[in-house]
Amino acid sequence: MRYFLAEGWKSAKRNVSLISLGTMVVAIFVLGIFGLVLMNLSNINDQLRSGIEIRVYVEDNLTRQGLQDLKQKIEGVDGVGQVKYVSKDEGLGSLTRQLGDKAGLVDILGENPLPDAFDVRVLNPDTTSDIASIISGLPHVIGVNYGQGFTENFVAATRFIAVIGLVLAVILVGAVVFIVGNTVRLSLVSRAREIEVMKLVGATDWFIMWPFLIEGMIVGFIGSSVSGLCLYASYRACIGRLGSVAPFIPLIVETGPVVRLCVSLILLGVLMGVLAGGVFIRKYLET
Amino acid sequence: MLIRFYDVTKVYPSGATGLFSVNTFIRQGEFVFLVGPSGAGKTTFLKLLTRELIPTRGQVLLKGRNITRLRPNEVPYLRRSVRMIFQDYKLLPNKTVRDNVAFALLVTEKPRKQILPLVKEALQLVGLESKAMMHPGELSGGEQQRVSIARAIVGNPTILLADEPTGNLDMETSWDIMEVLLRINKRGTTVIMSTHNALIVDGLRRRVIELDKGRIIRDDERGIYEGEAERDAVLPG
Repeated sequence: MRYFLAEGWKSAKRNVSLISLGTMVVAIFVLGIFGLVLMNLSNINDQLRSGIEIRVYVEDNLTRQGLQDLKQKIEGVDGVGQVKYVSKDEGLGSLTRQLGDKAGLVDILGENPLPDAFDVRVLNPDTTSDIASIISGLPHVIGVNYGQGFTENFVAATRFIAVIGLVLAVILVGAVVFIVGNTVRLSLVSRAREIEVMKLVGATDWFIMWPFLIEGMIVGFIGSSVSGLCLYASYRACIGRLGSVAPFIPLIVETGPVVRLCVSLILLGVLMGVLAGGVFIRKYLET
Repeated sequence: MLIRFYDVTKVYPSGATGLFSVNTFIRQGEFVFLVGPSGAGKTTFLKLLTRELIPTRGQVLLKGRNITRLRPNEVPYLRRSVRMIFQDYKLLPNKTVRDNVAFALLVTEKPRKQILPLVKEALQLVGLESKAMMHPGELSGGEQQRVSIARAIVGNPTILLADEPTGNLDMETSWDIMEVLLRINKRGTTVIMSTHNALIVDGLRRRVIELDKGRIIRDDERGIYEGEAERDAVLPG
């Protein structure tokens, strides 16, 4: 094993160029950026979905008993969690707060235009639209609102970015495999005589392959580690800035998920290195 | 019988015939010269024994085992007992003489402790102990060939194949190499050597197999370089 490690390291040192290493670092870094963007979008999505409430508007002039009966019916719908009554006055108060300096609009309207309502929390955000449609069919309900369209659009946008990310990942992984493979190919050319002698004196294919696999592993590890570290440092810096500029965006601030992504990238780099080394040396030995 | 060729034909993808319907045998411990013009099939004959080539037809038996049927992962083990030396030595220029020889054992995953004494013994046999730490570039052609012989015999192979080992050497150095090969043969290793050097073949009077256009046209137990018929044709009277 010591021989394989020494040979792999020697060869990597001799054959890896700054340009190929730099290209690889950039490729894995871009891959990591997409990973971070997707992780954050998914996080925002989860936050939004967990905060989803269905606002159920009810007919005016419903008696106290009528409101109580309706509340019970809503609570009886499968998947409904907490149900909270919002009187038209409370509704107007919160609207006024939301409008801020445009609150004068409410005065122009003259009277409170809002109906009484219930805020309904659902247990599983995926069932929001089904539950809303059941509730809208209940008697005395005049309408429901849960931000229809927004969450669906957000999920669709996230999916779109994920697909682009996946296509880009395939291209970038291909590029990294090619770069590492090219480094290994250079070693193969420079060690052609050595390999010929090895075969001649009875070395097994595995014995010949190990140093090249290790070389691929080393090149992959170096490239992806540099990318991983750069990615981590850049993300921390960005989060610091964004946190003060736009604190309302629920970005991932914990270290754990980001470190996990960086470690995954390093493992991916090592794996791609071994894969590229293996493919090229195998092909070489077969010819 | 150590080696047997049964009706061996080798046709290359280009259509050229390397060997055609060759039947022969070689006993354990023999010293055999393969002679014949360039393209006669001498190298094809040797490469069939290391499984660098597979015959188009026929069988090559080594100690009764058909080596044409070996699986690819068995070939390295065959090559540990059938070693070959070449006209161009095939040494690794960045390694010392000692490391070049040790390399042959290192790749067979022999424990390092056992390697050094065996390397020393091999270098002793070829007379290069004193140059163990030199690099091939610092040695003469004859010395480089002796290093390649040491590398070939260090694992104590059953068969040593030599493909025109004196092709690049002057006569005096060629005799030095022959002396080493004879010494190795005396230890029990079967030696098969292809050559164009008539003086060496005639001087040693060992078994001679002559090939021409892929066929064996002569097989003499104590032969000379040229066949009697050819010599009679050029001798006066």
